This record gives sequence, C-alpha cells and structure tokens, in this order.
Amino acid sequence: MAGFKDTLKDAVRQMSFRTSVDKLKKKGVQNVNVLGIDRIISLIEAAVHRSLKTRLVGIDREAVAESTKAEFLRLLRSNEDLQREKSQVEQARERAEEEIDLMRRELGEKRSALQVKLEQDAVELATRYDGENADIAMKVAAVVKSLAESGDSSRSSVEGRLMELVMDVVSGERGDAETARLALQDREVGNLQRRIKKLNDTLASTEQRLNKVSAMKTVDDGISSIYRDVQGLDESDSHSGKKKELMADLFKANLMLQKRSKGA
Amino acid sequence: MTDTNEKGGDSAEVKKDHGVLYIGMDLGTSRTSVSASNGVRETVYSIVGYPKDVVSLKLLKKDVLYGKEAIEKRLSLKMYRPLEKGVIKTGDDADAEAKANLKAAKDLIGEAIRLAKPRADELVYCVIGAPAEASMHNREAIIDAAREHVDSVMLCSEPFAVAYGLEWLEDVLVIDIGAGTTDLCRMHGTMPEETDQVMFDIAGDAVDAALAKLIEETCPGAQFTVQMIKNIKERHGYVGEIAERVVVELPVDGKPTPFDLTDQLRTACSILIEPILEGIQKLVSTFDPEFQAKLKDRVLLAGGGSMVKGLDSAVEKAMNERLGSGKVIRIEEPIYGGSNGALKIAHDMPEDFWEQLK
Repeated sequence: MAGFKDTLKDAVRQMSFRTSVDKLKKKGVQNVNVLGIDRIISLIEAAVHRSLKTRLVGIDREAVAESTKAEFLRLLRSNEDLQREKSQVEQARERAEEEIDLMRRELGEKRSALQVKLEQDAVELATRYDGENADIAMKVAAVVKSLAESGDSSRSSVEGRLMELVMDVVSGERGDAETARLALQDREVGNLQRRIKKLNDTLASTEQRLNKVSAMKTVDDGISSIYRDVQGLDESDSHSGKKKELMADLFKANLMLQKRSKGA
Repeated sequence: MTDTNEKGGDSAEVKKDHGVLYIGMDLGTSRTSVSASNGVRETVYSIVGYPKDVVSLKLLKKDVLYGKEAIEKRLSLKMYRPLEKGVIKTGDDADAEAKANLKAAKDLIGEAIRLAKPRADELVYCVIGAPAEASMHNREAIIDAAREHVDSVMLCSEPFAVAYGLEWLEDVLVIDIGAGTTDLCRMHGTMPEETDQVMFDIAGDAVDAALAKLIEETCPGAQFTVQMIKNIKERHGYVGEIAERVVVELPVDGKPTPFDLTDQLRTACSILIEPILEGIQKLVSTFDPEFQAKLKDRVLLAGGGSMVKGLDSAVEKAMNERLGSGKVIRIEEPIYGGSNGALKIAHDMPEDFWEQLK
C-alpha cells in the first residue's frame, strides 16, 4: 500500500508544474492556499474508497479497487513512456533546428560571398569594358583626327581607315577568344589524357588478372597411370622368349644411339 | 622458348613416387598420335604455328599453336610442318629455317606428350615410332626433343611397333602408309634390319598432289587448298569399284559448285598400289623361300593411308595376279595402330633398360 502511495505521490508531482512567487504576482495572484501532497494523496484515496463503498460491496469492492490501482499505474507508466518519447522527439527537433540554423547561417554567408563576388565581377566587367571602350574611343578619335589633318575626306579613304580600325579591334578580340578556346581545349585534352591513362592502368591490371586466371585454368594435374610400378614382360606370355630378345635388341640400338647423341 | 621447356624443367624437381606412365607415340608427317597407360589416346595434326608478329601474339594469347587450331588461325601464324617424308626437315644446320623447323618438331613432340596428360609425380617412359629409315641425325633430334619432357625414351621403327602391338612377330609383312612415306617391313622374330625394310615417298601427300593436279585439269575454275584436298581424300578416297558417284562442292568464283570427282579420286589413290606391290615383291622374293607363302598370307595394312576404301582388296588382287597368292588385312585402328604398338613395347621393356637410358 505504501508503494502505491509513493507512486501516486510521484504522479501528482509530475503532473504539477513549477512556478515562482514573482510569476504568480505577475499574473495578479496575491494569496496562495497551500495543500500538502500527502493530504492530496489521502484525499484521492478517500474519495475513491468512498465512491466504491457506496456502489459496491465486499469482495467486489476490493477487486475493483485493486483493478483500478493497476489501471492507474499502467496509465501512469504509459504516460511516463509518452513523456520520454516526447522528450526524445523534442531533443531531436532541437538538434534538427540547430542544424538548420547552422545551415541557414552558412547559406547566408555563401549568399553574401556570392553577392560580393557578383558585385566585384560586375565592377571588373564594367571597368574592363570601360577600359576597352575608352581604347576604342581613343582609336576612333585618332582616326578622325588624322582624317581631319590630312584633309582627305573621300568616302574610300574614310571607309579604309574605319575598316582598319574595326579589324584592329576585332582581331584583338579574336586573339583573346582563341587563347581562351585553346586553354579550354588544353584542359579537355589533359582530362582525356588522364582518363586514357586510368583506362590503360585498369586494362593492364585486368589483363594481368585474366592471364593469371587463364594460367590457373590451364593447370592440369594430369591423369594417373594404371601402373604403380614398372611392368616389364609377363613371364607367362607365350612369346616371352622372343619378346625378350626383341626388347634387348631394341634397347641395344637405342643405347648406342643415345651414347652417340651424348658424345656429340 | 615456349612453355614446353618450362614444364619440362618443373617436372624434374618433383618427386616421382606416384606411378609409371607409359606413352606410345606415332610421330607422323601428317598426324602424331599418342596412346598412354592412363587410358588417354589423342591425335594431333603434325602442324606447328607461331604468331607472325606482336599483334597476332596479343590476339592469339599463345606462343605456339598446334594441329587443327593452327590450321584455323593460319593467317596469323608462321606455319611449320616439321616432318617431311617421315623425317624432320633439318637441312643444313646453319640454315635459320632448318633451326626453326627443328624447334617446331621439338615443340610438337612436347605437345604430343602433354596430350597424354602425364602427372608431374609419375615416371614417364616413352617409346616413339619413327620412320623405318629415319637418319641417325633425325633420330638424335627426336630423342633430344623427347628427353625434355620424359624420364626415359626409346625409338623404334613404325612398322615394327604396329606388328608388335598386334603380336604378329613372325613371318609378317607390315605396310605402313603415312602421309610422307610408305614403309614396308618384314618381321621374322628378330629386330628388322635394313634389308627387311623398304621405304618410298609415294604416300598420302603424293595422293593429295595427284588429286589436286587432276582437279585442276578437269574442274575448270574450281578453287581449293591442300587441306581441302586432304579432307576430300580422307572422306571419299577409294580404289577399285564404288557403289555411288562422289560429288563434292568446290567454290568457283565464290559460288559453291558441285563436281563429280569419282574418277579423279580413283586415279589419284591408285598410285599407291604399284609401288606397294613392288615393295612386297622385293621383300617376299628376298625372304627364305620356305616361308615366302606364309609371309604373303600375312600382310598387314596400317597407317592413315590404309583408310582408302578398297585398298586392301586391290593390293590382295594385285598380289594374286603377280605373286600367285596373297592375303591383306587392314588393322582395325589405322590412326592408333603405331602408338598402341609403341605403348605395348614400352610396357614390356624391362625396368633395367629404362633405367640405363635415363
């Protein structure tokens, strides 16, 4: 029974919330009536028993009381599990929020850096074009000035000078474009060469493996002979005498041949 | 060198305590056959090919190819047919081509032994049937080539091996028709001597050449190779009478065209009969008169050339006409007759003899 009381006490504690006097004051609470936890517990117990007493009798009452206690404890445990899960979910959510915050900060930084870069590029572009524009303007001015000084304002002369000027500017641009194209091409060639080298290496190693496998495939233990020992003529053979002579003759001829061969 | 030598080197280091493998080999101009005491019987065309260049080496992934495989890949290979008229084409030793040919012969012998699937831990004793009249130089070359792959080796004449294999040791005349030579040998219970043997070069290759010439003359536009001619002969070759006409397709301007080769085949194959008969007559007439009749009644026809249909009957008929009598028996396995006999010799050879030849 004492165990149950303690459990009930813990449950009441968990369900309560903690606050400070200042907070209460802020909410406009001036006076507080305090009720001890033991008193609350005994009140709950008394209320349950009284209710049961009025509706049930004898054994039924005790059984219902026990069953109710068990159900209360189950609910309490379930509540604890839910609380724990809730707490884990909240922790995960906090971590996720922290990560998102971090990513947001990084994204912001990147955006800022990109913005700065874009602005810088725009400035550079403008400056570059400004410079180029100024160069072209200077060249045009020089042409006009030289035309004015020479006094030759014929159409062909003007056309020729303008053509020279345009071709000068265009050839410069073409040169730059060609250099850029070559640089790009070099990069592509370099990449391709690296790729080819990798493929070559892979091919070489594959061939090596293949050769090893092929070599392994050709390994053949051979087939065992039916004879464990040297045989020779069977004495029971009807031609054994004649065969012996033939074998001896054949051996002599071969011995001579091989002696001669070794001697040579 | 090829892997053949490497293998030979390796086998020398292995302890040979597993057993004894006997190998009988028939080293022929057209085919080389082996029979072994592990039950293996193999034959390979006596053709060796080496990749022409690095590209073909890379493509073929082999240093050397043999037989049918070499024929199939011949466009990428430098081809050698190391035996000619039954012997190794050595020529002048200083000649690079002769050296290459000798190497091809050695490689071929190595391959033939490999085909017998010897175990590294077995003693390998080999008897090689060489042409009856192979030169001393040739015999030495064959011995040297074989020594790289076996523990002990002996040579014997091919007709002798055939007769020994069939246990016909006395009063028998063996006719071994190969591609390069036809060998005749009389057996009289002892090792045949030079006077007991006759060899001439009218054999399978001569038949091929005659057939090719006849086709050229009588089949206008027909295209063919030596190998095609050989295949036609092996499939349809005959002498005497035949039940059906032989019609063979040959390409003409790229189109397969049927040709009736019945007469050409008979004419080409018949060139074998007369020299054989002359050889028989020579060996019979110089034999002990008391045993001549017995010798004539015991003529064995062996070798790839003996597969020409009707040849045994034709020789027998000609013997009856010219020598009064004759009985010719074609051996059951012309391709393996020599190698089976050599295997039997290897088996019967006493241990002491093998040891002395190591």
